[in-house]
Formats: sequence, structure tokens, C-alpha cells
Amino acid sequence: MKGGWWKIGTVLLLLYVVIVGLRTPLAPALVHASVDRIAPGPVSFDIKGYNTHFTEGSVTAWLENDGQQVCSAPVEVLADDRARVTVTVPQGFRKPLTSVWVFTAKDGPIALHDAFFTEGLGDGITGTPCRPGGKYLRSGLAFPDRAILNETIRNLFFHVPMWFAMMALMTIAVWQSVRVLRSGSLEADRSALSAVHTSLLFAALGLTTGSLWARVTWGGWWTSDPKLNGSAVTVLIYAAYLVLRGSIPDAHKRARLAAVYNVFAYALMLVFLMVLPRLTDSLHPGNGGNPAFSTYDLDSSLRAVFYPAVLGWIGLACWAYTLTDRTERLNALAHEAHDR
Amino acid sequence: MRTAEIGHLLRLEWQLDRRQKHAWGSMALYVVSTVYVCYQGVRHLSDVPVWNALFWIVVLFAAFNALARSFQREDAGRQLYLHTLASPRSVILARTLYNALTMVALSLLSLGAYALFIGDRPLEQAQLGTFVATVLLGGIGFAMVLTLIAALAARAGNGIGLMAILGLPIVLPMLLSVMKASKLALDGLPLSVTGQYLGWLVAIDAIAVALAWLLFPYLWRD
Amino acid sequence: MKRTIANAALLVLAAALPARTFAETSAPNWLVDTMYGSGKINTVVVVVSVVLIGLGAWMFTLDRRLGRLERDQKSRP
Repeated sequence: MKGGWWKIGTVLLLLYVVIVGLRTPLAPALVHASVDRIAPGPVSFDIKGYNTHFTEGSVTAWLENDGQQVCSAPVEVLADDRARVTVTVPQGFRKPLTSVWVFTAKDGPIALHDAFFTEGLGDGITGTPCRPGGKYLRSGLAFPDRAILNETIRNLFFHVPMWFAMMALMTIAVWQSVRVLRSGSLEADRSALSAVHTSLLFAALGLTTGSLWARVTWGGWWTSDPKLNGSAVTVLIYAAYLVLRGSIPDAHKRARLAAVYNVFAYALMLVFLMVLPRLTDSLHPGNGGNPAFSTYDLDSSLRAVFYPAVLGWIGLACWAYTLTDRTERLNALAHEAHDR
Repeated sequence: MRTAEIGHLLRLEWQLDRRQKHAWGSMALYVVSTVYVCYQGVRHLSDVPVWNALFWIVVLFAAFNALARSFQREDAGRQLYLHTLASPRSVILARTLYNALTMVALSLLSLGAYALFIGDRPLEQAQLGTFVATVLLGGIGFAMVLTLIAALAARAGNGIGLMAILGLPIVLPMLLSVMKASKLALDGLPLSVTGQYLGWLVAIDAIAVALAWLLFPYLWRD
Repeated sequence: MKRTIANAALLVLAAALPARTFAETSAPNWLVDTMYGSGKINTVVVVVSVVLIGLGAWMFTLDRRLGRLERDQKSRP
């Protein structure tokens, strides 16, 4: 198994990614309140939690508006993830959106931010701090539970690295193309083609998984996001690369022209990928609550899996590339023998 | 590569083109008839985003049509002549410059024809100077990016079809920034806002020309 | 001034959209039934499956290619 250490490393990394990426629970969160509008006076509503532990120990709840808190009456716990909160809403909250907080002995403080549209605004109230002083027992790794994303946050380890893998293979292809230009080597040309073919496999995986994820979270198979447009252009460029190759019969000429196009297109594509987010961000200021991963604040628990995932998938892509390239070499050798 | 050589090549291009007046006529006719077809489709447009988008599509296809022939007309004898006469880098720089000048003329012509047929309502509240500058920079930019692609397509022995396939994904970034800049200029925003996009445009141009300068010798030799 | 505008914008937003459910409401029933249960975990299952199926299909084509090469090798002395 000489030189195989990186393959073992790839397998181990991906094993870690699958196990930790799928087993780590989401952090406890509140996902829903049965009321979305509150007015001064007593109000009672059910809150729905996710991965919460309402039944273990006492539960405290309070409303918060612009940093001012109003404590609830004792919380009626219905299940681990359901509880009924009764609270008297005061007159005079400053902001039109009010959050609800819950504190349990196991989960600590959890919020449903901006849960209620608030009536009866004014210049503020005389609030009291409601958060209990005690410690809480939440421990271990947990992924953040974001609205809309929920469990699909795990796709970060199975969709995003596809693009990293694709870019890594395209970089290999460009490097091989530079070798073609410098030495005219047909072997390097074959390697460039293998790298492009394999990178298109990962592009296809990235597009399919991304499309599915977008449908569930953003509500459309395709959205006008800079990342999507960038990937579409990348795929078009490499499809054009294959068309160009197909239209030139002479092997040496094909190698040279394809290499020229690859280097030119790759460099301009990099510029595009740098320019595009700035261009589109200014087209759509504020992303309508659907943050792209460029603006996404990675929690360190996500990082602990995401970085190994990127390395692992790049490793797998390189492995697939070497397999394709070796097969192509055998194929070329067979053809040579056949011609002789 | 010397400036004098590039100047000489530019003059040569001009003389050759003067002898083929029909080439100029066909380019102009292409633009005017494209605009006229658009006119038949939409009549007058006063909606700024649509006006802007349609205009750039017209310019883009005019550019493809005009630049595709820049290496196509090369016959073997002329190529041999250029080969012995000049270094490939001078050839690509001269050709890029010449194409840029062609595109200046063509994009102004497109703008004129477009304003005449489709309507100049969007121009009324525009920053006219900035808009025209954007049009010129856009035209020049298409020439800078597409000249190498035209050479590639011609070398592959395939016409405008291959050029469109190879060129479209590559000019897309430039098209997006130029559309954005011209939309801002049409909305009447000052140069300080539009300038950022024009800056991107110039940067892409510079990178494209540098790459063409680096890569063209590999296309040239046989 | 800025705060007032921001508050007004939030107000409009809050009136138009009930809290954090706007993406969910746009989904058709079949999607909600299949994908939205248990915190949308099925989406992750499908994504991982797509990746595995894709890699499997790729291995299948590579396998066929190698098989063809082997046959060529055998048929030639």
C-alpha cells in the first residue's frame, strides 16, 4: 500500500464526517409559538421546542422586547417539546417585535426571536430580569438549529464540499493544461481531460443536491443566487471545453487549443467568482432571510465537521481522478498497440 | 514585440478592410436588422430594465458576429506573410486593438439604431455621459475577451457556432457588470456609484488582454 | 430617523408574514409530507443518497470501461 496513506486518510475523514455529521444533535431550540400577535393584557400560548427537555427540572419563561423583560406565570409543561406559557403583556413595549425565552435546567436559555408582532407600543416598561441564576447541564457538541434550515444544516457536509472537490479537480486540469503548453505532452492533455471529466461528476452531484436542498429550504429548484450562477457558468465553460475538443480531429492541435481555452477560461472564471457576489449583493441588498453560506456564520461545531468534510471529499475526488486517468492511460496504450 | 510593429499591423488591417467594404456593410446591416427585428417584436420600450437588457443582447450578438470574422478571413498565404513578418504577440495585440476600435464604431451604431427604433425614453433621465462611456467600455471589453476566442474558434476550423459556445460563458461576467453599470447610469446615478462597475470592467479587460498576450503564441504556431 | 424606518419596515414585514413560516407555506403538500418531518431530516437522507448513487453510477461506468479494456486485451494475442 505504498503511497496509499492519503487514500486511507480520505476514508477515515469521510467516516468521521458521516458519523459525527449525522449523529451530533441539533442544539435545543424553540421552533413555533401558537400565537403570532400579542396585545396588552393576559395572553396564553403554546410553544413548540425541538430537542428540548421541558420535563426535566423547572421551566421558566419570559418575554423580551428591546432588552426589557416580563416574566411569565408558572409554565405548564405538556411534553418535552411542548409547554403552555401564560403572561401578562404590559403596555409600552418599545419595539414592534417581541421575543420569547425559555430556561430549563438541562437546556439553559433558548429563545424564539421576534416571535410576536406587538401592539400597544410606548416608551418602555419597568422590566425585571427573569433569567434564573443557576447553572445548566447542556454539554457536548451540538449544531445550531436555524429557522428553515433545521436538520438540513447537515447538508453542509455533503453538498458544499462537492464544489470544493470540483474546483480542486479543475485546478488540477489547469495545471495539466499548463504542462501541455510547456511541453506539448499528450499525456498531460489526457490527464487534463480526465480531471475535467471527474470534476463534472462532482459538479453534477453539487447541482443535484443543491437543487433538492434549495427546494426544501428556499422553495424553488433554482434561485438567483450568486453561487448558483457561478456554478452554472463553470459547468457551461467545461461543457464548451468538451465541445471544443470534439471538433478538432488532430491530437496535437486538439491538446494545444484545449489547453489554451482551459487556461483562459479558468482564469476568467476565478475573476468571475470573485466579482459575482459583490455584483449580485448590490442587486439584492439583504437576502430575505435566506443567508448564503458566504454570509453564513459558521458555528465552531460546524467547523469541526465541515473542514474535515472538505478535505475528505477533495481526497475522494482526487482518488476518482487518478482512477479515471489510469484507465485512460491503459486505453491509450491499448490503442497504440492496436495501431502498431 | 514593438510599438512600431503593432502600428504597422494596425495600418495593414485597416488597408485590408478598406478593400473589403462589403464587410463593414454587412456588420452594419447585421446590427440594424437585429434592432429592426426587435422593433417588430416589442415596438417602443420605456421600461428601463428591459430596454437595457435588450440593448446589451443586441450589442453582444453584434460583437460575436463582427469578431468571429476577424480570424476567419485569414487565408493561408496571408497567415504565412504575417508569420514571417511579425511576432505573434504583436499580431494578437494589434488584432485586439483593431477589434476594440471596430466595436467602438459598432456599439455606437447599435446605440443610435436602438434609440431610433426602440425609443429613447430611458435616455431622458439618464446620466448620458456615463451611459455612453459604459457602452464604449462594454464594446471594447467584448473585443478584448472575445478576440482570443475568435482565434481559437478559427483555429479549430469551426465558425461562429463554436465561437458562441466557447465565448458566451466567458463574456457572461463582463456582460453582467456592464449591464449593471449601464442600468445605474440609465437610472441617473452619478459616476461615483457606476464607477465601481466600470472599474471591474477595466480590470477584467486587463486580465483578458494579459492572458491573450501570454497564450496566443501557442495558438499561432503549427 | 433610521430607527423609525427600520421599525416601520419590520412592522410591515411582521404584518405580512406570520413569524418564520413563509418558506414552509410555499411548499406543496407532497413536499411537506415527504421532507418536512422530524426537522426535515429526510432532505439530508436524500442528499446523502444522491451523492452515493452518483458515485455508484460513476464506479459502474469505470467498471464497464475497464471490462472492455480487459476483453480487448484478451482477444489480442
